Amino acid sequence: MTAIRMHINGVEVADDVPPRLSLADFLRGRRHLTGTHLGCEHGVCGACTVLIDGEPARSCLMLAVACDGREIETIEGFAGDRVMEVLRRSFHQHHALQCGYCTPGMLITARDVILRGRAGSERGIRDGLAGNICRCTGYTNIVTAIAEAAKEVPDAG
Amino acid sequence: MKAPAVDYVRPRSLTEAIDLLARSGSEARVLAGGQSLVAMMNLRVASPGLLIDIARLPELATASEDGDAVRLGACITHAAVEDGRVLDPSRGLMPRVAASLAYRAIRNRGTIGGSLALSDPAAEWPAVLTALDAEVSVRGPNGQRTLKCAEFTTGIFETQLAANEVIESVRIPKLSADARWGYLKLCRKAGEFANTFAVAVADRRRGHCRAVLGAANGPPLVLTNTSQLLGKGEADNMRDAIAADLGGAADRHFDEFQRNLHTVAALRAVQQVLQ
Amino acid sequence: MPDDRFGVGASLLRKEDDRHLYGRGQFVADLQPPGTMEVAFLRSPHAHARIRSISAPPEARGRVFTAADLPRVKPIRVVSHSAGAKSPPWPPLATDKVRYVGEAIAACIAPSRGEAEDLAAAVAVDFEVLQPVIDPVRDMRGSRHPVHEHWGDNLYIEHALEGGDIDAAARAAEVSLTREFRMRRQSGAPLECRGVLAYRDHRLDEIVLYASTQTPHTLRVALAEILDLEERRIRVVAPDVGGGFGPKARLYPEEIVLAALALELDHPVRWIEDRSEHLLTAAHSRDHHYNVTAYADRQGRILGVDAEIVVDGGAYGLWPQGPYHEAGMVARALPGPYMIPNYRARHYTVATNKTPLGPYRGVGRPGACFVIERLVDEVARAVGSEPNEVRALNLVRPQQMPFATIGGLRLDSGDYAASVRLCAELLDLPAVRQRQRRGEPDGRQVGIGFATFAEQTAHGAAEFAARGAAIIPGFESCTARVLTDGSVVLMVGIQSHGQGLETVLSQVAAEELGIDPARISVRHGDTESTAFGFGTFASRSMVMSGGAVARASRILRDKLCRIGAHLLQCDVAAVRCADGVVAGPQGSVSIAEIAKVAHLRMDGLPQGVDPLLDATATYEPAISTGVFSYATHGAVVAVDPETGFIELLDYAVAEDCGTMVNPLLVEGQIRGGVVQGIGTALFEEIPYDEAGQPLVGTLADYLMPGAAEMPAIKIGHLHTPTPHTEYGMKGMGEGGAVAPPAAIANAVRDALSSIGAEVNETPITPRRVLAAIRRARVAAGAVRS
Repeated sequence: MTAIRMHINGVEVADDVPPRLSLADFLRGRRHLTGTHLGCEHGVCGACTVLIDGEPARSCLMLAVACDGREIETIEGFAGDRVMEVLRRSFHQHHALQCGYCTPGMLITARDVILRGRAGSERGIRDGLAGNICRCTGYTNIVTAIAEAAKEVPDAG
Repeated sequence: MKAPAVDYVRPRSLTEAIDLLARSGSEARVLAGGQSLVAMMNLRVASPGLLIDIARLPELATASEDGDAVRLGACITHAAVEDGRVLDPSRGLMPRVAASLAYRAIRNRGTIGGSLALSDPAAEWPAVLTALDAEVSVRGPNGQRTLKCAEFTTGIFETQLAANEVIESVRIPKLSADARWGYLKLCRKAGEFANTFAVAVADRRRGHCRAVLGAANGPPLVLTNTSQLLGKGEADNMRDAIAADLGGAADRHFDEFQRNLHTVAALRAVQQVLQ
Repeated sequence: MPDDRFGVGASLLRKEDDRHLYGRGQFVADLQPPGTMEVAFLRSPHAHARIRSISAPPEARGRVFTAADLPRVKPIRVVSHSAGAKSPPWPPLATDKVRYVGEAIAACIAPSRGEAEDLAAAVAVDFEVLQPVIDPVRDMRGSRHPVHEHWGDNLYIEHALEGGDIDAAARAAEVSLTREFRMRRQSGAPLECRGVLAYRDHRLDEIVLYASTQTPHTLRVALAEILDLEERRIRVVAPDVGGGFGPKARLYPEEIVLAALALELDHPVRWIEDRSEHLLTAAHSRDHHYNVTAYADRQGRILGVDAEIVVDGGAYGLWPQGPYHEAGMVARALPGPYMIPNYRARHYTVATNKTPLGPYRGVGRPGACFVIERLVDEVARAVGSEPNEVRALNLVRPQQMPFATIGGLRLDSGDYAASVRLCAELLDLPAVRQRQRRGEPDGRQVGIGFATFAEQTAHGAAEFAARGAAIIPGFESCTARVLTDGSVVLMVGIQSHGQGLETVLSQVAAEELGIDPARISVRHGDTESTAFGFGTFASRSMVMSGGAVARASRILRDKLCRIGAHLLQCDVAAVRCADGVVAGPQGSVSIAEIAKVAHLRMDGLPQGVDPLLDATATYEPAISTGVFSYATHGAVVAVDPETGFIELLDYAVAEDCGTMVNPLLVEGQIRGGVVQGIGTALFEEIPYDEAGQPLVGTLADYLMPGAAEMPAIKIGHLHTPTPHTEYGMKGMGEGGAVAPPAAIANAVRDALSSIGAEVNETPITPRRVLAAIRRARVAAGAVRS
């Protein structure tokens, strides 16, 4: 067991975990933050995407012990985050989710796409979503939702 | 699947990392971005006994000018290259390659050194660094060695890196202002491993012209005849040169489809240069 | 009373969104009661083998369970009433034999999943490996080691369907085309894999299963039978389910084993499937072989179709329906929405040493559509017409409806030819043809292809009985309840896993009761709180469950009006229920007030009216042979003839599902289905080698469509309400996935028409495109020389 300390959604967390435990399983099992989902555990599907030190990353490919001292943001966080607020509303208005399983990872990725200024074109958005699989929506509405959200926060990207 | 049991240590310096690696023997693996290693552990195709985490060693994250070259630390991420946050010796080639490597979330953590050390045959950096005539600096308990990237990958997942060595940095000669490059990656789904890719670099001022094929059933395949023609700027006999180069790589056991694909990729990458 | 704001027809935003946008959904893997132990299954590494012995290490005692350790577990057995059907027993944990790679042999229990996997790796099994049955066409009549020893062959069932006189059609035909088609095995691959949490509830003396399933009530039926427990002592809950699409509408061994473990052990047990396990062991789908001849006259009128259909059913039958329906569905759907007068279909469902085959969005229809729509295009080429002209010539016309197709489907209503025209408009067919004539600067070749189909939906008792099913999903149920404050709960037997049924069903109730959907809760997926229902599959929920909601709501509405009229002291014929009140000529009384009377002040009830506002109703459409939505899909592709790579430039759907309860959600279903169909058409495949080993195991080699490869999908609507359902609605959930393989294959054919290359198998990979180009060039060369 290894002692670790990190911030999750702004709150400092300390725990003792086996090195084999992924960040995803740490968040879900130890911190009961089950909004981060597992769809493949080999880094392809994107359902487990969280922010690590402000950047989207696969929590299934990150060991919890390697997150010592880091800032983690999960879908349960983003309180007061304007881009996320706009995105959530836009996803709702444009029917950009069906079963909801990909949604947390999709929102975190979408937020990053907007912040990096890549949401100005359909091509840019679609390429930005390459690492997030959705099996339900067919993507059209997700792309629309992100494009519309980006227009609402033009200063963000 | 869940990773098997493993121990973990995070050294505070490269020296400490090398020391740990030397003492732990074959059970230990160096962990950088983890985008390949942890995936392999999750699939139980890798079960190291000890992970030595070098991802946050400051001496591995620097980018600096080194004469007429740029030196990039081994733990510089693909995203840093993509975004142009580190010096680019390649006049846009490396950022272009980085941008189509896996997915952004992977790029935020995956490293150049990690890609080189693993040398997946479909990985981009071994082939691109070969095309750029880069060198890799590795360090072990017996000191530092410099190896040519073109020779570094020796097989599928096989490199010249000894089990007790760590990749420290890559040194990439800067392309001249009038150098040209071409790059083509073919895959069906954005971000997946390439079915084929070709990199062509023509820097006549430095006398360096090289065409390299990746996803070629082995180490990056330097297309020597093609490279020569590239150097002369001759487009006409390119198809024959490529055919000769592919024919000379019989040990790669390309089937007809693969040979087709590699030919097209090489041709188009070269055309980008010669246009 | 139509209400634009929130009744039938309103594009109401979804009530279920909120929890998912904040990560507060509750999927099976999110539930972890104290003391839960994790389960990992030891699975067969061989496709076909006898088990000689199983030995677990001594420290694993009490934590490794084989079939011998769970004697109360009976084998799964599908019952089929179809003549000649053979049904193998399927022990949930293998006993003497394993019959596919991945078959479960033992359940291993540990505090964490990782440790459970460690345990599974420590169990030693001694196998005697047998030669597997891999090729269903070659081995259907027998093999060295049949999949099921006592059968004598490897056929689950064979059957023939005939109509008219196919031999006469063959003789009369001026055009005769024979083709082989192949749809390759794939996975439904919802983003959430399967999962089961099981525990004993001592207070209620029952076992509780949380399962990622589309069919909680029938799962309970199965568990009760197999574990010999009364149904009243089993509760099944499908919480949030991350996509189902068919694979989760079947009983699985893991569900039975987890329930048995919960009975055996006094702590919760949980099995959360991972992706590799899912690709290996969740139902596979679509593994079809076809050999088909189409006969036509010189105008392109199709005179007859003669088909041989082989379905690779895998090693066992998935309960309740087994593999028996798939080939029959193909056979009946293959004549498509056409007036084809002569037909023969001989179909064979074969057992092989592979993962069992189950339904996946569209089931047999994508294959049937693929075949007939490719043939329509080839007939067109043979007679020198545009494919859509041949379609128009052969499509059943509105005035012919109801029309009994030669395959035995009763097409009820619609204007199929109009959908063809609308689709061509959406894609601007003339502009595409112009672009083709101009040519592409990069040397690629552009093509456009179409596919038309009619989708049988909301079929009920008669249809399933005709298929020989022992369990007939012939109705749905709803219990509607007005609570004392006037808020409403709808308890339904279906299960929503993305379709937005929590929203649309409240729209139906809102339509009938005049109550804002925001005051209506929908409870689904729980055997505890809902009357029996069959679940969500077969494009049935909106029609069946919606119909039940409508009926139950009307019963409540009538009672509300009776009580309201009494309170308003007027005649019941003079009141109506709308806008949250019952209004009469001289005033109104709120639903809440009426509810208080019905529960808390029953002295205010009129004579002969009992307390409570509670109604249960069932529903099946007036005809149970199904109501048919339909569509024409069109795809525009660019093919690189040097590499075989395909880019989808444009995609359009012109569809008609009758009355749309929620157009926003309908379009979401269409687009989702289309992208799944594109996955089938271009990307997804699970190949097996000669030893019966599947050759893909992760999402790195099982490619699923991503946003970067998809075009924006255009949709146009036609509206032909059906007379046979509430509000005239038709089911439509699967249709999106039916036509893409056909439309794309036709587009590729069109793109490569100068070369003459055809790709008649899915997925259409670059390798297959180049092989088709090479074949066409060789054939052209042979013709010339």
